[in-house]
Amino acid sequence: MDYSLTDEQLALQESFRKFCDKEIKPNADKLDKADYAEADKLMKQNFKKLAEFGYTGMCHEEKYGGSGKDLVTQCVAQEELARVCAATFLSVGGSLGLCGLPIAHFGTDAQKKKYLPKLISTEMIGAFGLTEPEAGSDAIGIKTTARKKGDRYILNGSKTFISNGPIADIAVVMAVTGKPEEKGRNVSSFIVEKGMKGFSAGKHLDKMGYRGAPTSELFFDDCEVPAENLLGVENEGFIQAMKTLEYGRIGMAVVALGIAVACMEESITYAKERHQFGRPIGKFQMVGFKLSDMKVLTDVSRLLIYKAAWHKDNNHPEAATMASIAKLTASEASTKISSWAVQIHGGYGYMTEYPVERLYRDAKLGEIGEGTSEIQRLLIARDVLAKY
Amino acid sequence: MDYSLNDEQLTLQESFRKFCDKEIKPNADRLDKADHAEADKILRQNMKKLAEFGYTGMFHEEKYGGTAKDLITRCVAQEELAKVCAASYLSVGVSLGLCGLFIAHFGTDEQKKKYLPKLISTDMIGAFGLTEPEAGSDVMNIQTTAEKKGDRYILNGSKTYIINGPIADVAIIMAVTGKPEEKGGNVSSFIVEKGMKGFSAGEHLDTMGHRGAPTSELFFNDCEVPAENLLGVENQGFIQAMTTLEYGRIGIAMLALGISVACMEESINYAKERQQFGKPIGKFQMVGFKLSDMKVLIDVSRLLAYKAAWLKEKNDPEAATMASIAKLTATEASTKISGWAVQIHGGYGCMTKYPVERLYRDAKPGEIGEGTSDIHRILIARDVLAKY
Amino acid sequence: MDFAFTDEQLAFREQVLKFSQNEIAPLSEEFDEKGEFCWEAWKKMGEFGLLGLHFPEEYGGANADVVTSCMAAEALAEGGADGGLTLSWGAHTFLCADTIFVHGTPEQKEKYVSKLASGEWVGCMALTEPNAGSDAASVATTAVKKGDRYVLNGSKMFITNGPIADVCVVYASTDKEKRHMGISAFIVEKDYKGFGVSKTLKKMGVKTSTTAELYFDDCEVPEENVLGEIGNGFPMALQTLEWDRSALLAPFVGGMEFVLKQCSQYAKDREQFGRPIAQFQAIQQKLADIKCFVEAARLLVYKVAWNKDQGSALNHMEAAVAKLYVGDWGMPMISEAVQIHGGYGYMHEYPVERVFRDTKLAQIGGGTSEIQRMIISRLLLS
Repeated sequence: MDYSLTDEQLALQESFRKFCDKEIKPNADKLDKADYAEADKLMKQNFKKLAEFGYTGMCHEEKYGGSGKDLVTQCVAQEELARVCAATFLSVGGSLGLCGLPIAHFGTDAQKKKYLPKLISTEMIGAFGLTEPEAGSDAIGIKTTARKKGDRYILNGSKTFISNGPIADIAVVMAVTGKPEEKGRNVSSFIVEKGMKGFSAGKHLDKMGYRGAPTSELFFDDCEVPAENLLGVENEGFIQAMKTLEYGRIGMAVVALGIAVACMEESITYAKERHQFGRPIGKFQMVGFKLSDMKVLTDVSRLLIYKAAWHKDNNHPEAATMASIAKLTASEASTKISSWAVQIHGGYGYMTEYPVERLYRDAKLGEIGEGTSEIQRLLIARDVLAKY
Repeated sequence: MDYSLNDEQLTLQESFRKFCDKEIKPNADRLDKADHAEADKILRQNMKKLAEFGYTGMFHEEKYGGTAKDLITRCVAQEELAKVCAASYLSVGVSLGLCGLFIAHFGTDEQKKKYLPKLISTDMIGAFGLTEPEAGSDVMNIQTTAEKKGDRYILNGSKTYIINGPIADVAIIMAVTGKPEEKGGNVSSFIVEKGMKGFSAGEHLDTMGHRGAPTSELFFNDCEVPAENLLGVENQGFIQAMTTLEYGRIGIAMLALGISVACMEESINYAKERQQFGKPIGKFQMVGFKLSDMKVLIDVSRLLAYKAAWLKEKNDPEAATMASIAKLTATEASTKISGWAVQIHGGYGCMTKYPVERLYRDAKPGEIGEGTSDIHRILIARDVLAKY
Repeated sequence: MDFAFTDEQLAFREQVLKFSQNEIAPLSEEFDEKGEFCWEAWKKMGEFGLLGLHFPEEYGGANADVVTSCMAAEALAEGGADGGLTLSWGAHTFLCADTIFVHGTPEQKEKYVSKLASGEWVGCMALTEPNAGSDAASVATTAVKKGDRYVLNGSKMFITNGPIADVCVVYASTDKEKRHMGISAFIVEKDYKGFGVSKTLKKMGVKTSTTAELYFDDCEVPEENVLGEIGNGFPMALQTLEWDRSALLAPFVGGMEFVLKQCSQYAKDREQFGRPIAQFQAIQQKLADIKCFVEAARLLVYKVAWNKDQGSALNHMEAAVAKLYVGDWGMPMISEAVQIHGGYGYMHEYPVERVFRDTKLAQIGGGTSEIQRMIISRLLLS
């Protein structure tokens, strides 16, 4: 057993933290408040900078321009980015993770060569299209269809809440190819490119938080996708999703942790500086104890994340459940922590000029995206009931 | 003992609910999203409509144009407005409640005649200036001074988080008139009018929630206030505040209750309509049970607020503590409930198109304004320790 | 809207409070430690008039209304009576005796109610079975008519007062096809052949209340002991909720007020780091939270009581809200109360330790919190 980070991880943590504080943090507020045109521009700039640092390539093989880091190392880096800008974290994660990883895992060599280097360099931005208006938690209930016609598939349907939707160059889209009665084994994944006939993205959806992360619907209107853009094997879409989901869960857990850590750091600073009744408010137990509780929950979240990542790196059978546990715990913790953070800041906490105001709006999504807390609980309970 | 509302209250509830749904609710979203100029316009329209209905007059005597309803009757009405538009509720509450009640309780006949009818008709909008950048919870630490000079007082200092600040025609300002060492007994209240030399309001402060309630700083730069604008007796400011504070506490409790009820109603509708896995999601216990918990906390909040109102109406010595209990319970409940409401709405809950997104942002400030939760806990504990 | 109690009610409450503090509380401590039913306390309560408070005078009662009954239950707990005693009282008076009073024939009332009201006889109510808890409608104990008697077969579980009861209102199925509408109620006396206690159960809390597993082995019950109408058992059982959600919840409110007093006094006496711990915000926070809970719970419980006094039908929503709140919001509060007492809160000699064990039942007995949530959400979504 070893709870320590390696020298490499520590060095990465330090240098990436400096990078994030210098390059990403100063624009985080603007990214949240600007209109979409400007926000998208800032986001793309952030993408480029992160590519230059080497962050975007961490989850991908060297042969495509990545650096092939293990998941624990990725988490160490991810926390630093999540801490300064949840929106950027989400977008980059959506592109390199949700879109890039399915290609990396299930793509042909040709597909990998075609897309991965560009995703890593951020020359291309990717999206992942599963969720539909009528299929949220009930992902198996998706209705977008893909009918084989000669050397192409014709896609019809729509997706919603798609991160990077408005700016995506490619999207991994899941559509029904098999028989309706074979739910769970009747969906395939396709790589759809911007510009393909019949494919369009909707306007930016206006959100409570993560406002800088462009989100939209995607529309498929007799969209023609070349057969070679099928990803992996027909009707294996949900099995693919199952394999890549843990990455998404762990990613979501990390962004929740990052938000929580940012809340805690802001709160500690404020509690030291803000004086009332003749002393720093941190000295009042009702304030100080909230900081203690933040610390407890962030420590717990981080350890669960590392364990989930370590399990996944080792292909442990417990990996899926641990990813659920980490995601559930970290996201619910981060909502609570963001609320305590606003509370500690008093009136300032709900002024938009204070970061915790944005963090409060950002935190809540964590309990919903990548599988709601309710779904995570169902999965964890199922595992418990199976084991004992 | 009687837990029922009387016929007058039931009639008022029904007619005011209809009024709010028709006249205020349709603009609530716009009020939240518009730029400050447009929002102020909508707010003023709301205030006029509420004056026409007779809502603004409920807090005041008939001789000034009011209808002098008892506190519980006011609560019944308040819940209906709070349900549809937190921002309007807050603005009106500050104008007629905090500002108006101060004048009603401590003003001379001339002062009451001069200001109350106009506040009630909303020809004038009022504000209440106590909080300062360095004096939030530590309210006795206010630094704004008022120096007597002949037939006027010269005010110097600033106030912050002043609701209606940007649009106020009149403000009750609390400033130090006595000796610094006599904390608690050295502050006086003044009626300051827009246009008085040296008095200015800052720009709109950008807030997380109740964005339609215009908020700003107020500045006093050798501000000249005629001596006849002293409210009540010199150095009695904190005592005045102590007696009127309970109204504010109960008012915020009702606001929180209204937000909670709106959250629950939206959630019930959504839980019935939204289908996943072949059934309305309300049928899943993890969703349905959240609705149950909302109901429990709402019932508790309402009863505590009514009890506080009943005690205040009788000038019972327990009134102050019960007001704290009601405020603390209702506001913490509403933050929780707004969290559950967003959760039940899933991805849609984070979209600004859905009312629960705004309610989530409106709920949180309740735990902070009118005495933070922590302050109220201290007050309640003090009462317990004194009693037992 | 009016939250006032009458002067009469307040005076009576004071009496009960003093009675509890002086006569009952010391006994509660002793008998909770032993884990035994305290007959002395029971007798005193009977003499005081508590066990039949709401019955008409001809049955030995005082004609008290529901609000007054709740006040008495609350005050008894607030004075230091343990949860076991108040539970035994509640089950005896409101779940057994009252059912006979409301649904019984004149003969049945004549025979049983007075003796129950005085406490001379102890009553119990048997609905729950080993395989029928939350799913109360799936009761499997059968009652088959045979000539002029009914023959009962089956078993009951977690029956408060079971081991000491003279009289038991038993719910059994007379028509399995009709499911919950095929259940009937019977008055079973302890000496009836084929009826007995198979086991006295050892519990976490409410230790002075004896709890039994009961068996019915061809137990013969005379026809005249059918209570109410055949097939009407389930609605009758549901009706007891009116009392269950008011007078049986009131002791939890009183108990928490009792605990609040204990906590306040402890916090002022106990010094650490050179001062009474009451000066630490961490403690103040807990005191405030407990206080808020008590006020809220009281309002909910008395609303149910007041409704019944108005003659209104049971409001299932309000009853469920009250039960759920008392249990699920109360349990964390008693946990905080133990916390205030530190290590002492974990010791038997401090009452909060007992109240902690007693309070857990509020989330389970008389309808679990989960069932309450089911009821509430179903009503909200309908």
